[in-house]
Amino acid sequence: MVLTESMQMILSHTALAALGLALGAPAPVASGAPAPVAPGSSGPVAIRVGRAETASHGAIEHAVILVEGGKITAIGQDLEIARGIAIVDRPEWVAMPGLVHCWSRLGQDSDGGSALEPQIRASAELFAAQDVWKKLLEAGVTTLGLYPAGSGVPGQAVAVRPAGDTPQAMTVADPAYLMVYLSASSAAKKTLREGFDKADEYDEKVAKEKEKWEKEQEKKSKSKKDDKKDEKKEEEKKEEKKDSTAGRDGEDEKKDEKKEDAEVFVPPAPDEKAAPFVDWRAGRLRALVHIGKAADWLHLLDVLGEEEVEFDLRVPMRDDLDLYYVIDQLGERHVRVVCEPRITFMVNTRRERDLPAELAAAGAKVAFVPRIDSIDGCKTFAKQAGELVGWGLDREVALRALTLEPAAVLGLDERLGSLDVGKDANILFFDGDPLEAATELESVMLEGRFVTGPDSSSARGRPEHPATHSGGQ
Amino acid sequence: MKHFRSAAPLAWPPADSVGLRALGAFGVVGALCALAAALPPSPVRDDPKPQDEKQDGKGSEDGEKKEEAEKDRWFAAVGGDVFTGNGGVLRGATVLAKNGKIDQIGFDVDLPPETEVLDATGYRVYPGLVAISASTRVTQGGMMDGGDEEYAEACCSEFQDPSHVHEPEDADAPPEVAAGAAPEALPAPDEIDEIGESGAADEAKRKSSYEPNDLRDSYDPFAPYLILALATGITTAEQSGAAVKLKRGELEGVVLREKYLSTFSWTGAQAGKQALRKKFVDAAQYLRDYTAWEEVKEKDKEAKEPSKKDVDSKVLAVLQGRARAKFNANGAADLVGIARLAQDFGFRPVIEGCVEGWTVASELGRAGAAAIVTARTRRDKDEHLSRDGGSSIENAAVLHDHGVQVAIASGSTSFDMSGITGRDLLALAIEAGFAVRGGMSDEDALASITIVPARILGVEHRVGTLEVGKDCDLAITDGDLLHYQTLIHWTVVEGKVAYDKQKEIYFADIRPRAEAPAESDTDAAAEDGEPGANGETAGGD
Repeated sequence: MVLTESMQMILSHTALAALGLALGAPAPVASGAPAPVAPGSSGPVAIRVGRAETASHGAIEHAVILVEGGKITAIGQDLEIARGIAIVDRPEWVAMPGLVHCWSRLGQDSDGGSALEPQIRASAELFAAQDVWKKLLEAGVTTLGLYPAGSGVPGQAVAVRPAGDTPQAMTVADPAYLMVYLSASSAAKKTLREGFDKADEYDEKVAKEKEKWEKEQEKKSKSKKDDKKDEKKEEEKKEEKKDSTAGRDGEDEKKDEKKEDAEVFVPPAPDEKAAPFVDWRAGRLRALVHIGKAADWLHLLDVLGEEEVEFDLRVPMRDDLDLYYVIDQLGERHVRVVCEPRITFMVNTRRERDLPAELAAAGAKVAFVPRIDSIDGCKTFAKQAGELVGWGLDREVALRALTLEPAAVLGLDERLGSLDVGKDANILFFDGDPLEAATELESVMLEGRFVTGPDSSSARGRPEHPATHSGGQ
Repeated sequence: MKHFRSAAPLAWPPADSVGLRALGAFGVVGALCALAAALPPSPVRDDPKPQDEKQDGKGSEDGEKKEEAEKDRWFAAVGGDVFTGNGGVLRGATVLAKNGKIDQIGFDVDLPPETEVLDATGYRVYPGLVAISASTRVTQGGMMDGGDEEYAEACCSEFQDPSHVHEPEDADAPPEVAAGAAPEALPAPDEIDEIGESGAADEAKRKSSYEPNDLRDSYDPFAPYLILALATGITTAEQSGAAVKLKRGELEGVVLREKYLSTFSWTGAQAGKQALRKKFVDAAQYLRDYTAWEEVKEKDKEAKEPSKKDVDSKVLAVLQGRARAKFNANGAADLVGIARLAQDFGFRPVIEGCVEGWTVASELGRAGAAAIVTARTRRDKDEHLSRDGGSSIENAAVLHDHGVQVAIASGSTSFDMSGITGRDLLALAIEAGFAVRGGMSDEDALASITIVPARILGVEHRVGTLEVGKDCDLAITDGDLLHYQTLIHWTVVEGKVAYDKQKEIYFADIRPRAEAPAESDTDAAAEDGEPGANGETAGGD
């Protein structure tokens, strides 16, 4: 891969910074040349690997990944590493972004209802002190989407990192998406429609209040005829409008403002069941819609009607899934489909269908979830995707389906899911092709810290590690 | 033999090999010989669209209409022997459909450009079959009558008592006697005004026009059972008293008519029958009172509107013609009882089962009854009685001869992969063939699985025969529909090919159509339109 100019700039800039750091904080340097620099400490770490699967722009041979402050600050082929930067030199390793499992109930334990309960948060059930998080990390899952239990509209999912002592420390994004179950039944369709109706009710309420407020304002302005004050008001109004785009969170504060200064219109806060749907419509929240068969897709469109909302589809890959009937439609709309990496059969036959490949070919996006929502499932997750590559799924599509696409389901594709500058340094290191069955996961980096493998904090207790030394030799 | 092929290399043939080809060969402009069949007068014509479309199809309306007119969807089945289902057979005729409705039937039909043409030369074109008493498993739900399912269930459990199968002959005791026996446990439905009006909320603000409808909401337009139904030529099926159009790949317009058939029970214990008669008496009285009140209410403001409180909504709907009463009965005594009830209160009953109908056919005929018959039903005569009894293969024919509208249903109401082979919905046409075996004419047997069940379901204005203005639902076969070796090659639903034998997994390997229809080669086979001829050449498999 050709090193782009901008990348070089970044590297040199970072290197300079690193140099400055080394000079300004002489502690590790002063102790002697090859002293181990703790990777994952606040200082930069350069990881030299045989190959890096970026998931966003192909593979980089002889890649160097520079990690600083939990983020990837540079990545490229054979980048020069400035003196003083800690180096993890693993030419036999292959790096890929950490796995993102976006639809999980791991570590959760509860039942949900089947009604319209969009206000429920999966984060409320989050319990940090569990062994399962550590095991997940060891399996290579660095981001996890936990959905709320139940059916109908059971609530909002949370995106977590499987590390941290408190639920707050674990949370990456809350809410991550609104979970919606839709099937070919009046009950399910009604429940979803009910949510939109609540949002409609709220819109009406806002419109009415605004009308009322405007009338009051007119009255006031007529009686006062204070031009200066009116100007002020208008300014305030403009500000208010700007604020209102910022989201609901600000509304409580606005309410307080209202008490002080009744001359600014404050939309009433939506009730807890309407709020998620208001947010969904406004594009502040995505939804993950669970459907079971091709017909459900039509029923979903039937309920949504003219509704322009963003959603991904969760389609469990049953043996006799008949999704191929609507793949063209899914492709046309570039829908993201969350499914298991597996081969299915045409209904009533043993004729195989490679639905993920068909989806990708049609223009839909594919995000994988493990076949079984368990630690073992997560361990074989990448290999299962590899199997499909053997069937003819594009390799890049498979890699994205393990990382970047599920990150997008969680609304985190800007932040993680690929090996790109500025993204969270969630990186897996394999001793070979990650999609090959025999490959072992050697090491896991979560947000710039090695959490498993030879360079992790537990392994770093040893005085000297052969693969870790400071750069610039 | 050529047709003994392995099922494995089942390629999906390109479009031109399956008989669909662009217009061009049929450019002969001649006098149109459209079948001038006027629509039958229908009491429930809630969809006057076909005629409207025909009139302003040229886009003389505003711009929006013009746009729609440009997008008209034309379909034609060309060259087949068209069995219209109402007596006419047009050999080598064309059925032209516009936007799913039949536009013309006849010879030398001028096809508009961009017509999707299905070459049915050598095949037979029948109206799509109507499966009455079916459970196609394509959809679920649907209410029996006015949404009062609970009530219907209560009625059935109250009345059915298997220990009283052979009731005494005085089943029709005067209502005055029965009045005291009316079971009070029956829930009285209060919301009879609500029928058909529920859920009509203010929808102006909504972005979606979605309205809950159990039938539509559980419809699966990709279900394997749907393909099987279409492979049988069935295009309309009953689902719990409602009529469902078996559309493929879409949800729009699948519910043809809801809640038309309303089930009543006239079997078992005497008390139940008396209670039912009492309900009819009360409902009839209410209607009389209401009419009387309407006449005087202008003059006499004091006049009280009669109370609906104790009137059975189901019965009222039947008497008002909003619903059609359906009974399940087989014994001669029950059948006569139903016939008398119907005559007394002036409604035309639908009787499902009707095994001993042939023994009381004249009574049923006089009552204007319709019968849903399974030709192959076997039932022994009750040897305690000296009269005729038990089942007869001639049942359908005898009933028909006495003026009873006969619809044929298959023994099993769904598609069975287990159970009794050949008695499920896949054999619906064969069941009608058994009625022919019992003396029914071919034409009447065809009607018994098309227009008669359509009438019973109240959708005869849409389906059941091939007539201009009706839905273009076709079953295109390679021989006599009622012959057991005949295969459906295409099923068309509202002008769209919904089933093509060669493209589906089920029967593609049996007598596959010749691929790439080079005119010279296929002519011989195509000309061979003799009923069952194709079946015979392929016999032995």
